Amino acid sequence: MIEIRDLNAWYQDFHVLKNVSLTVEKGQVVVMLGPNGHGKSTVLKSICGLVEKVSGIIEYESESITGLGSEKLVNMGITYIAENRELFPQMTVLENLKLGAYSRSARASEKHNLEKVFDLFPRLRERRSQLASTMSGGEARMLAIARGLMSNARFLAVDEPSLGLQPNLRDEVARIIRKINTQGITLLVVEQNIPQITTLADKLYVLEEGRISFEGSKEDALGNDHLKEIFLGM
Amino acid sequence: MLVGIWAIVAVLPLFFGGTDFIMHILIMCLIWSVVASCWDLIMGFAGIFSFGQVAFFVIGSYTSAIVSAGFGVPPIFAVFIAGGFTALVGILVGLPCLKLKGAYIALVTFAVHMILEPVLKGDIGQAIGTGGTRGLLSIDPMTLFGYTFTTASPIPYFYLFFLVAVACSVIILLVIRSHWGTAFLALKDSQEFATCLGVSAFKYKLMVFALTSFLTGMMGGFYAHYVGMLSTRMLGIDLFVTLMVILVIGGVGKFPGAILGAFITIAINELLSPLGPFRPITMGALVVILVLLLPDGIVGLIQKLSRGSRGRLSPKVH
Amino acid sequence: MIFEIADVIISGLINGSVYALMAVGLTLIYGVSRAFNFAYGSFYSLGGYIAFLLFGLSFINSYFLVFLLAAPILLLFGFFVEKALVAPLRKRDDWEIKVMMITLGLALLLDNAYQVIFGARMKSLPPFLGGAFEAGDFYLSHQDVGIFFLSIGGILVFRWFLNNTRTGMSVRAVAQNPAGAQIVGIPKEFVFAATFAISTVMVGMGGILLAQKYFITPMGGWDILVKAWVITAFGGMGSIRGGLYAAFIVGMLEAFVGWYFGMTWTLIVLFAVLLTTLAVRPQGLMGKWG
Repeated sequence: MIEIRDLNAWYQDFHVLKNVSLTVEKGQVVVMLGPNGHGKSTVLKSICGLVEKVSGIIEYESESITGLGSEKLVNMGITYIAENRELFPQMTVLENLKLGAYSRSARASEKHNLEKVFDLFPRLRERRSQLASTMSGGEARMLAIARGLMSNARFLAVDEPSLGLQPNLRDEVARIIRKINTQGITLLVVEQNIPQITTLADKLYVLEEGRISFEGSKEDALGNDHLKEIFLGM
Repeated sequence: MLVGIWAIVAVLPLFFGGTDFIMHILIMCLIWSVVASCWDLIMGFAGIFSFGQVAFFVIGSYTSAIVSAGFGVPPIFAVFIAGGFTALVGILVGLPCLKLKGAYIALVTFAVHMILEPVLKGDIGQAIGTGGTRGLLSIDPMTLFGYTFTTASPIPYFYLFFLVAVACSVIILLVIRSHWGTAFLALKDSQEFATCLGVSAFKYKLMVFALTSFLTGMMGGFYAHYVGMLSTRMLGIDLFVTLMVILVIGGVGKFPGAILGAFITIAINELLSPLGPFRPITMGALVVILVLLLPDGIVGLIQKLSRGSRGRLSPKVH
Repeated sequence: MIFEIADVIISGLINGSVYALMAVGLTLIYGVSRAFNFAYGSFYSLGGYIAFLLFGLSFINSYFLVFLLAAPILLLFGFFVEKALVAPLRKRDDWEIKVMMITLGLALLLDNAYQVIFGARMKSLPPFLGGAFEAGDFYLSHQDVGIFFLSIGGILVFRWFLNNTRTGMSVRAVAQNPAGAQIVGIPKEFVFAATFAISTVMVGMGGILLAQKYFITPMGGWDILVKAWVITAFGGMGSIRGGLYAAFIVGMLEAFVGWYFGMTWTLIVLFAVLLTTLAVRPQGLMGKWG
């Protein structure tokens, strides 16, 4: 579904990604691991059209999407869920969700998606007229994921969903990721604090200093002592 | 580059010395080059959106004129008193507003500009001797070691202004090259980072505010004694925009671009004068076009060309 | 005396309402895109001159038609200016100062074009309503009441637009979190241009409303720019509610100072109040967007 070849990305003059190649097949959950600040978020953002300076080839369903802006990509079914949530603080939960369905392709199914999202996160239904800025960290995280789902995405790039989350909510996040996946949505997740998500993975990538240093299945990763210690915390 | 510009300017009187009219324009170029360079130091290097530059110039010119007429101070000292007083005003304006964010600073400094006209024309102005609406009509000419400069023989006057302008530009260059300049570049990149390094944003900004208002006020003083009369008409939008065009043409933050810009702009302005009322329209259009097409001014263009010829590779970007 | 004070209050309210309409427009651009428009005052005059031209056409006989025709002209003009002049600068690091410069250039261009086209003499518009409420010494013209309600109506329509339409929501989204807006697929560039266009309509409408009372002159916009600016900073840049309060405070202050000390003092007092406010609260009365 997503095919990346020789992706390079820059923030101003800083070369963040160096010849990154990766593949995500339809229906998969692919997890990316790696030390902080080595470019994992940049991979996700590059796919979603949120990085200005990129070169290389990014294909979505065999169609080149390199250099397209986020408004086009969201419309095509590619949505980014940010690590720092990026909600609209002075708007209600409902308004945040409605804006999640801003893209043309999501407008028609806004009502339907809203119900689906409320079923997935009953807490949000209760708090729909509350301002986003007044929500707890866990609720805000749920809202960010829910807003991403409102876009009718077929591919979700989820960036560190455990950031700022209490440990007891991590199971919940893993459960939701699995549930989203069973609904037929393909996911690329950056996450290394939730072992349950790693075990969900169909494939793992490790990104170090802007390069892919490992690619393989869970079993391969578990067989690699270096990886096991550093990233899986097992 | 600075040396090159001044070397060329120094010999200009050899060609134009005979024409008083052109000498007058050259002197104005020297004056505006200093005022615009000061503005560039504040805005381009220190990143402070100050719009009080013309106001400081006018404050300096009136101060010098009033001090020399009212207290009998020789003009050559009066201009420094004017500089000191303007610096004081600069600090007074800077103290409350340098803690504010960009657009607010623009407002407060522009406010000084807007208030100045009613103050100078009104009762307060009359009381301190601004001449109200009529303005000041006979200001003492500059004298130095018993020699009186007159507009009738513009060449000595030209070299007086030339020396002052060179001195000012050297000071500005020293500031940019010094610890201050580095601090400002750090501040512009990241306020938080610079604060971590112990760069006190406020202190540096206040100092640069004081320095530029001193130089601007002093130049205002020289101007007053040169032209011999003052009115609040200087506060109109014309001069303000002329200075801005100078910066646009020279390049913001591209010292000594402002000096180059001053000579080019004043020349264009004079060449356009046959257009009459269409002249300000053309100037406005020029600003719009130049900001779009030549965003870093002439100096930026020169830098780009020289860099391009060295063949620096830039990353391929989609 | 009582009637005199009532007059002052009424004039403060009426000016305040128009100022509110215009200051909300200025604060909107700043809140959404952090751009500062120096030509805002020239757009005010543009509104007046467009109305003046429209009244010159034989089939235009009512203000309703003037508003109906002027609004889309102003909207398109604002949109075009943003797209052509402001948007190309946004990629640069120092775009804020470049935007101030280019809009200042535009202001010079427009003001002097007015002077060439319409001449330096004042132009006036026919009153919007005739007649007055009178009771003894008390006098309140229908026109003033009309201006007041049209301005307030304009602000309410704008509020409704922000809260209830898709474009309005996206404008608020960009103001509150540009990165978030980009993530959900809001075309930021379009929102910037739309905001600029809407603010142009607001200040242009303000120009049409006030031109009936104060005439149209080529340079008349500067005063308005400064006032709208003061109000915006006073209320808190980017805060619509703050702008509304500040507009009425400024309208009142101006009316009372003008009546008691004379018109030359109004600007000085306004700035004194503004500086004091900013010294205590650097973010203005209401801080940010609200």
